[in-house]
Amino acid sequence: MGGGFRVLHLVRPFLSFLPEVQTADRKVPFREKVIYTVISLFIFLVCSQLPLYGIHSTTGADPFYWMRVILASNRGTVMELGITPIVTSGLVMQLLAGSKIIEVDNNVREDRALLNGAQKLLGILIAVGEAVAYVLSGMYGSVGQLGVGNAILIIIQLCFAGIIVICLDELLQKGYGLGSGISLFIATNICENIIWKAFSPTTINSGRGAEFEGAVIALFHLLITRTDKVRALREAFYRQNLPNVTNLLATVLIFLIVIYFQGFRVVLPVRSKNARGQQGSYPIKLFYTSNMPIILQSALVSNLYFISQLLHRKYSGNFFVDLLGKWKESEYGGGQSVPVGGIAYYITAPSSLADMAANPFHALFYLVFMLSACALFSKTWIEVSGSSARDVAKQLKEQQMVMPGHRESNLQKELNRYIPTAAAFGGICIGALTVLADFMGAIGSGTGILLAVTIIYQYFETFEKERASELGFFGF
Amino acid sequence: MDAIDSVFDPLREFAKDSVRLVKRCHKPDRKEFSKVAVRTAIGFVVMGFVGFFVKLIFIPINNIIVGSG
Repeated sequence: MGGGFRVLHLVRPFLSFLPEVQTADRKVPFREKVIYTVISLFIFLVCSQLPLYGIHSTTGADPFYWMRVILASNRGTVMELGITPIVTSGLVMQLLAGSKIIEVDNNVREDRALLNGAQKLLGILIAVGEAVAYVLSGMYGSVGQLGVGNAILIIIQLCFAGIIVICLDELLQKGYGLGSGISLFIATNICENIIWKAFSPTTINSGRGAEFEGAVIALFHLLITRTDKVRALREAFYRQNLPNVTNLLATVLIFLIVIYFQGFRVVLPVRSKNARGQQGSYPIKLFYTSNMPIILQSALVSNLYFISQLLHRKYSGNFFVDLLGKWKESEYGGGQSVPVGGIAYYITAPSSLADMAANPFHALFYLVFMLSACALFSKTWIEVSGSSARDVAKQLKEQQMVMPGHRESNLQKELNRYIPTAAAFGGICIGALTVLADFMGAIGSGTGILLAVTIIYQYFETFEKERASELGFFGF
Repeated sequence: MDAIDSVFDPLREFAKDSVRLVKRCHKPDRKEFSKVAVRTAIGFVVMGFVGFFVKLIFIPINNIIVGSG
């Protein structure tokens, strides 16, 4: 590997400084993996609840409100950054490697180590950058109010939490746990959010006195305390500003639909050239890129929202800034801003049927944007992530697999009939489900439910493989 | 008209490919669907309640921490 300068080599001097989890050098028993996974999860959850020391306030408008679901982020806590640093650095490295800007030969051990080091280093840098940006932007009160000491303290806390998340994810990835930390944290955050909205015991004062936040708790409370049962029931099912039972039912419905579509797949028969007649199959799922299109689409929208809100706050009234988006404080408080004009408005889900009828162009634009964005991201992702027809064909060839009835050179062509279509159409289905979920008012947002269900589904697949492997080991 | 065709032809082709893909797909039967639904629901509820109880426990703890701060 002596020829020419390589970008990855820039990372080498930093490797010794980066915190690193040793690769598991022995087969970790399944039960130990579960324990490591659960411990990691608890560490994450506790960090998500620990308040930041030194913050002055968190009552200002929250520009990150829209993206907290998919980034496992919790406002005002040590886990404010959530998994942003690690996800962002992962995506960036994936794009750089996939588009050959960085040369990586995955067959060379050193290259893989350097790539991992680069990703980790980038994650830490992003954590530092974001922490500083948070403090300077006045998220926790102006710097003048905080004082320099507290500002630095906050930055240190956020960076430390960012590093913890990076290490936890690496722990799980290196074979000590099941699946990836990122997926685990996202899914748990979403599930927690939904369960909380269903069973939360906290009360909120509205025009009709104190009400329970949780939909189920509120249902029982209303039925018990109200003399007019019919009105109580109607209120429990349709109340406006808090989670209600209809939202819960919509969530369940979306859940079932996603699971059904998860089962769609084209099964291609493959055979090993070595072991005599060893038969197998290669399934191509309808959701070929899984939840990736929705993650990318949400990230795009969230970043656009963030930029738009920043600009609006400082330069409202400017034509181009207004074109990007106009914002105003939500009537229901909570520090949430809602877009009321510009591009940001048109790519936001209509809030109701009435809203849809009032502005049909908005509804149509939103629908087309969602479906197109998901399809395009999905199709692009297979190229970037190394799961295109060409990559799969190469993979199968390396494993000495052939497809019965097809010559080896035709393998890629056969795969090409299914994979790009599955990616694009699957992306559209994902987009459509998200729109449907949001429109029905499902708790946790369509994006969140899709993410949670697909992640849990993957966990069970991993679970099955691990257990089969374990049993095989015992049976050996 | 050529312009419109050049836009709609790829879409039509894509629609045809999608329909063929869906027809070719193996679809889950009732038993398979139920099995996966139950397992995923269990996973969902377990994860959700783990997070829920951590949050529940931390409400009083946070009140103490923030109160003294």
